[in-house]
Amino acid sequence: MVHGPVASIARPRRASSLGVSYRLWFSFVAWRLVSLFVILLGLVITTFMMVRLIPGDPATIAGGVNTTPAHVAALRKQMGLDDPLLTQFASYAGNLVHADLGISFTTRQPVRQIITERIPSSLVLAGTSLALVLLCAIPAGLLAGALTREGRHRRGELIFTGTASVIGSIPQFLTATFLAFVFAVWLKLLPVAGSDPPLQSLILPALSIALAPAATLARLVRIEALNVLAQDYIRTARSKRLPARIIYLRHVLPNVLTAALTLGGVILANLIGGAVIIENVYARNGLGTALVNAVLVRDYPVIQGTILILGIVIVAVNTIVDGILAMLDPRSLMRRG
Amino acid sequence: MIRGLRTAPGGSIALLAIVVLLGVMILAPIVFSKAAAVFNVFDANQNPSRLHLLGTDGLGRDLLLRLAVAARLSIGLALIATAISAVIGSLLGGGTALLPPPIRAVGLRFIDTMLAFPALLLAIFVGAIIGAGAAGATLGVGLAGSFYIARVASALALSVAAREYVVAARVLGVKGLAQLTRYILPNIADTLVIVVTVAVSNAIVFLAALSFLGLGVQSPQYDWGAMLTEGVQQFYVTPVAAIAPAVVISVCALAFGLSGEALARSLNPLLWTGSDSARRPGAPVVNASREAPATDKRMDSKSKDVALRVSNLSVRIPTGGASLDIVMDISFSVAKGEMLGIVGESGSGKTTVANAIVQLVPYPAVVAGTVELNGQDLSKLTKRDLDRLLGTSVAVIFQDPMSSLNPTLRVGVQLTESAEVHRHIDRGEAERVAAGHLREVNIAAAEQQMERYPHEFSGGMRQRVMIAMGLMNEPDLLIADEPTTALDVTIQAQIMEVLRQINRDHDTAIVLISHNLSLVSQNCDRLLVMYAGRIVEELAITDLANALHPYTRALLAVVPDVSRPPDQPLDFIPGHAPHLAARPAGCAFHPRCPLAEDRCRIEVPPLLTREAGGRVACWVANKDLSGKSS
Repeated sequence: MVHGPVASIARPRRASSLGVSYRLWFSFVAWRLVSLFVILLGLVITTFMMVRLIPGDPATIAGGVNTTPAHVAALRKQMGLDDPLLTQFASYAGNLVHADLGISFTTRQPVRQIITERIPSSLVLAGTSLALVLLCAIPAGLLAGALTREGRHRRGELIFTGTASVIGSIPQFLTATFLAFVFAVWLKLLPVAGSDPPLQSLILPALSIALAPAATLARLVRIEALNVLAQDYIRTARSKRLPARIIYLRHVLPNVLTAALTLGGVILANLIGGAVIIENVYARNGLGTALVNAVLVRDYPVIQGTILILGIVIVAVNTIVDGILAMLDPRSLMRRG
Repeated sequence: MIRGLRTAPGGSIALLAIVVLLGVMILAPIVFSKAAAVFNVFDANQNPSRLHLLGTDGLGRDLLLRLAVAARLSIGLALIATAISAVIGSLLGGGTALLPPPIRAVGLRFIDTMLAFPALLLAIFVGAIIGAGAAGATLGVGLAGSFYIARVASALALSVAAREYVVAARVLGVKGLAQLTRYILPNIADTLVIVVTVAVSNAIVFLAALSFLGLGVQSPQYDWGAMLTEGVQQFYVTPVAAIAPAVVISVCALAFGLSGEALARSLNPLLWTGSDSARRPGAPVVNASREAPATDKRMDSKSKDVALRVSNLSVRIPTGGASLDIVMDISFSVAKGEMLGIVGESGSGKTTVANAIVQLVPYPAVVAGTVELNGQDLSKLTKRDLDRLLGTSVAVIFQDPMSSLNPTLRVGVQLTESAEVHRHIDRGEAERVAAGHLREVNIAAAEQQMERYPHEFSGGMRQRVMIAMGLMNEPDLLIADEPTTALDVTIQAQIMEVLRQINRDHDTAIVLISHNLSLVSQNCDRLLVMYAGRIVEELAITDLANALHPYTRALLAVVPDVSRPPDQPLDFIPGHAPHLAARPAGCAFHPRCPLAEDRCRIEVPPLLTREAGGRVACWVANKDLSGKSS
């Protein structure tokens, strides 16, 4: 091959090709931007309303246990709780625009500072888990699909599906418990808590988060691979007697990925939800531990801030997934709007 | 449905586990709650012993008893949370489906958006508003789970709402909630049960997770999640204290999750294995231990010019006992530059013959016989040479151009790849070749078209692309399997014109497979008629009037003819083509044949060569023949 094996499989798309479906792309992007805006607005309203929905008086809570009525009244004024709801919302949203998320009730730190300190650790954990999920599930599912197509290796299919569904239904915090027992308590190979040393302390949390979604995704990829392998266009590709590498990587994989990616949002939600709880299991200083501690001590500005940031991350990631989906499968552009 | 659950793999175990868990949940707190509360600081943090099978906690309480008692809160709260999810979810989903379309779209989008947020995060959020505790956690988990149920309910309700009796009810004035509760929900209930079963599993896990984080059940009450938290604190002293609740939660989640899946599988087996719809590439050609190739003698004389020779080709599907024969003992050849038509009803095996030639027969079918392309026996080639030969000297054009092109790849890539692989030419050169072939099949602006995706083409255009793709390596043989069946009549004529032109310009042999005798007779030089897996007649198109086999003659008689008076009914062949598994003994055509004799019902007639050229397999017609075995 002139381009070398990898280059010839992953062909770069040319800029000029955008011209054909330019209008579709434009409406796609416009649509996404509108829905992005609506969802973000919803997020802001929800986090704003949260404090107003709490039973009892936020100012009393903010004042702490040994507060006086005078102090509470001062706090009410300071927090703007006496203003009309719309005014309160305007000032909340206005502060958000300036990345001002308020001040923690308990530590008196700006919430923005708490989040910026903790977000890298959470991102590293979630990113590692995501990479683990993708790198394990897609090859495993594709291989299983190729080996079990049209009733080949029935026994292998049963073992694969059975194992994957059992692993896929073990909750992440329990996986964490089991893994911690085996590797930290029993074999004493890896640290059980904290973020030190950085690499070793990342292994167990990332594995705990990734294992179940990886098993679920692998099962899904296998079923999708079976469906794709049964398509007429795969018969066409086979009739050209292309090498297996081209058939699987160029013809099968993108079609499997588009199907798997439609569930990408759910899997990502699972990963981020998993990260929140696993951080607490392994006592890592991330957004998840910040959130849980804040809920325990009713530190509402921190709850608002972390929920908002996690929400934005989720929305952003889902938008990216949709974009990748549209690039992989141009037909998905037409299904929209 | 319960029967289906028990027969599904793992279903019976999961069902049993659920019964046991529910029993423990109801009985254990009544029987053991006092015993579980007995503490003895001298027995604190004991590992398992005969007295305490799972050891003791930090206050010396028996862990096994506490686990059993905790079942009530762990499962009970999960059931309450699931009930909340089910009610909110089915009303939200079902209600959304009934809204007028523009509002419905917004509602569905809302449900989808909520699903993107992790359920656990939603539950924490709701719990944070209400306050950490059992009530907040249960409501939070219930609300968070409702969107999943709403998503499924809306999809199901949408399909039900389109059914005729629901439409009729709507027309009769049944509106809103009545429509939902009387017509929609009862019809989607069975599938919702599956979803709810899975939701119980999720609720158990999320509630345990919240308790584990300290956000759920608060001391002095305890559930499995809270026990896990206590256990983890003593991880290095009594690991069982953490492992035991973790195992119980896992088992519980598995039992509900797997029984939900088993339910779903028993309702829709195909969805879960996905292996029943597949079409498969073929097994290698096995050399048959039969006599030498037998073909038309006129062809033999100029064997150098034979593009394709098929000898004693059989394809069968091995089943438990007897195997199913799809095609039997097929022998024919195609000269270079010739157009051969293969005609037969669906099920006659003509497509299988095409697939067997290019080794695309679906698994687990077994192929026997020899196939020679350009004089090379395919079974004698190494894998490398075989790929090369099949990739360059033969191309197949499939029936449905809508599904035969890969939707995720640009047409250009699909055109050029076989030339790049087999002829080792670079991309640019392959693109120039492809553009040439696209022009040849009358596609304008070829360079621009190559940048487009298949869905941007019409059916006729796609079939032209398929033909151009087939021409990429200048094959000697083109197999066109019903190339125009999926297209409308005007397009059919254009595609056939393209094929004729290729045949003329490149001297490419073409095998045209069709159920349409008039199409074949207008385009081909020679005709093979197949019936029930065998060739029953072979003859030149010019000899069509002299066809001997009753089936060929019947086919000729049913060809619609414009000269036929309009009031005269169209002819048809009485009876049906036999099913694969139930082919009649003797000549497979005898039940439909007006000339059938006793012998036809017992012995299969051999395919014999006629003096005038051509071959026929018929006892009645062969009476006049010399009886030479062909």
